[in-house]
Amino acid sequence: MINLQGIHKSYHMGDVTVPVLNGIDLTINAGEFVAIMGPSGSGKTTLLNLIGCLDSIDSGEYSLAGEQINTLDDKSMARIRSQHIGFVFQLFNLIPRISARRNIELPMIYANINKADRFTRTSSVLERVGLSDRATHMPTQLSGGQQQRVAIARALVNNPELLVVDEPTGSLDSKNGEEIMQLFEKLNAEGVTIVMVTHELDIAAYAQRQVHLLDGKIDQDKS
Amino acid sequence: MISIQFYFDRLIQAFYALRDNRLRSVLSVLGIAVGIAAVMAVGAVSKGGSYLVFSELETFGLNSVWVYRDRNDKDPNRRIRKGTGLDNYDYYALKDSCCSVMEKITPMVFSSERNIIQTGNRYSNARVSGVNSDYLDINNDHLIYGRNFRPIDIKRRRASALIGPTVVEDLFGKDSNPVGKDIRIGLRRFTVIGVLEEKSRDFLASIGSAGGQDANNRILIPFTLFQQMNGSKAINFFHLKARSLEEADLLSEQAKAFLKRRNGKNYQYKTETMATYIGTADRILSGVAMIGVIAASISLLVGGLGIMNIMSTSVLERTREIGLRKAIGASQTDILMQFLLEAIVISTVGGSLGLVLGASASIILAMITGFPLTPTPLVILIALVVSVIVGVASGFLPARRASRLHPVEALRYE
Ligand SMILES: Nc1ncnc2c1ncn2[C@@H]1O[C@H](COP(=O)(O)OP(=O)(O)OP(=O)(O)O)[C@@H](O)[C@H]1O
Ligand SMILES: [Mg+2]
Repeated sequence: MINLQGIHKSYHMGDVTVPVLNGIDLTINAGEFVAIMGPSGSGKTTLLNLIGCLDSIDSGEYSLAGEQINTLDDKSMARIRSQHIGFVFQLFNLIPRISARRNIELPMIYANINKADRFTRTSSVLERVGLSDRATHMPTQLSGGQQQRVAIARALVNNPELLVVDEPTGSLDSKNGEEIMQLFEKLNAEGVTIVMVTHELDIAAYAQRQVHLLDGKIDQDKS
Repeated sequence: MISIQFYFDRLIQAFYALRDNRLRSVLSVLGIAVGIAAVMAVGAVSKGGSYLVFSELETFGLNSVWVYRDRNDKDPNRRIRKGTGLDNYDYYALKDSCCSVMEKITPMVFSSERNIIQTGNRYSNARVSGVNSDYLDINNDHLIYGRNFRPIDIKRRRASALIGPTVVEDLFGKDSNPVGKDIRIGLRRFTVIGVLEEKSRDFLASIGSAGGQDANNRILIPFTLFQQMNGSKAINFFHLKARSLEEADLLSEQAKAFLKRRNGKNYQYKTETMATYIGTADRILSGVAMIGVIAASISLLVGGLGIMNIMSTSVLERTREIGLRKAIGASQTDILMQFLLEAIVISTVGGSLGLVLGASASIILAMITGFPLTPTPLVILIALVVSVIVGVASGFLPARRASRLHPVEALRYE
C-alpha cells in the first residue's frame, strides 16, 4: 500500500540546509499497524507527514494506494488526503468554536458529501469511538481522552484506508492512553492500516511492527 | 456536481468563524455600514441640491431662448445703434415667419427711467415690463387671482396690469385681492387684472446672476402701451419658447440667422438659452456631487481596510486551524474561498445595514424637502454590489496568504 524508495528530505533555514531524511526505503502493506520510533529530532514526524501527503519529497519515489505521489500538485494532494488518509495529532487539533459533531463533519464538507449522509456517517463513527452521547458537546467540554476520540472519529469519517497518527497518547494520562490504543487496535482489526509515531515502548508494543529511525535513516525494522 | 449545499456549508462555516469573534466582526460590519450610508446620504443630498436648482431654473421656462442685439456689430446705421437695435418690425417678422421650432414669442420692453408707482399714499419700487399675452406661458408664470392679458388688450393698448405678490403687499397689504383696483404708473392709471404666483429663486439669488431681478416684485403691462409711454418703438429683447428643450439651440440659431437675413450682414444678434444654463448647472452640480461621493468613498475605503486588518489577524490566529483543515482534505482553493467568504459576509451584512441607514436618511430628506429622493432599486443594487466588491478586495490578500500556508508549518505554529 505504501512504497517509499530512496526518500530524501531537508529543511532550509536561510542559507543553511538541514538534512532530515537521508534515503528511506520502506514498504507497508494494507492492514498493517506500524510504529515509527526513534530519538527526538530523528525525523519521525517529517517521515509521517510525507507518508500523509502533507509535505513534498525532495528526491525519491513514493506511491500510495497505487498512485505516484511525488509529482502531484496541491489540488491532487488535497484529494488524496481527503479520500485515503486520516490524521490524528498529539494536540487533537479540534476547532474550539464548533461542536464535536461539526468537527467530525468537516472532512466530509471538503469531500462534498451531502448533509443527510454527513449526519448518518457522523453518528456511526461517533458510535465506533464510543462517544454517541457527546455529539453536541464543544471540545472544551470534553476530557483529553474524549477529545482524542473525537479527533479519531474525524479521521475515520471519510473511510480512509490509512490512519497517520503522531504521538496520539502524548497529551493523555496512561489510563486514557491505554483506552485510545485499544481503540486503534480495534480499528486495525477492522482493516484500517495505521502508521503511528511514538517514542514510548509500551505504546509501540500495540503495533505489530516497529521501525526505528536514527539520523534520518532506518536503523531497525522488526515485527 | 457543485450544489447550493456546497456554498451553504461554506457560508455556515463563515458565520461560525465570525460569531467566534463577535466584537471584531461587529466593528468591521459597522465600518462598512458607515461607508455605504455615507455614500448614499451624500448621493441623496446632492440629488436634492440639483432638484432645488432645477426647480428654480424652471421658473424661467425651461424651453426659453432670449434674443438680443449684439452691440458690438459693425452696423453703420447710427440711428438704430442709438436705440436697442430691435423693433416691432423684427417682432412681427419673427412671429409670423421665423422658425419651425418656435412655439411662442414675446417682446420685452423696459423703460430707461424709473416710473413712480403708487396707489393712494402707498408706493412700490417694482420693475415694469412690457409684454404680450404669451409671456406668462413662455416664462412659466401662473396667476393666483384674475386673468391674463387678452390679445385685444395688447392691440388696443389697454391700461391693464399684472402684478407680483410683493407689489400687492406694498400697495394693498398682504393677502389682499386687488383685482379690479387701480394703480398709477408714472402719469397713467392702470387697472389690476391679475396677480402673479410667488416664485422661489432664493437659491439662484444666493449665488448671484439670476438673482438680479426680484421675480416677485414685477409689474407686467401691454408692451404696446409701454412703447407709447416711452415714445419709442424699441424692444429691449425677445423672449422665445422653443417646442422642446432639445430644440432650444436650434431655435436660437434659426432666430439669429433669420434676423440677420432680414436686416443685412452688418447686424449681429446674441442669444441665450435656458438649456445652456441647465447644462452649466448640471456640470457644477455633478462636480460638487463627485467631490462628496469621493469624500464618502474614503470612509468606505477605511471600512475595507478595517476588514483587511481583522482578516489578517484572523488568519494569523487561526494558522493551526488552517493547517488542520488542509490535513483533513481542504485544498488551497477551499481555504481561499473560506476566508474570502468571511470577508464578503462582513461587507455584505455591513453594506445592507448601511443601505438601511442611508435609505432612511434619504427618505427623511425626501419627506422634509418633498423631492423624490427615495433610493431606486438600481441604487440599492449598486450599494450591494459595491459591498461585495469591497469584501472581495479587502479579503483577497489575507485569504491568499492563508491558502498558501504550508500545512506542516501551519500545524507546527504555536
Ligand atoms: N520546518 C522545519 N524547518 C526547519 N527544520 C525543521 C523543520 N521541521 C523539522 N525540522 C528539523 O528536522 C528534524 C526532524 O524533525 P522531526 O519533527 O521530524 O523530528 P521528530 O523525530 O518528530 O522529533 P520529536 O520526537 O521531538 O517530535 C529536527 O532537527 C527539526 O529541528
Ligand atoms: Mg515529532
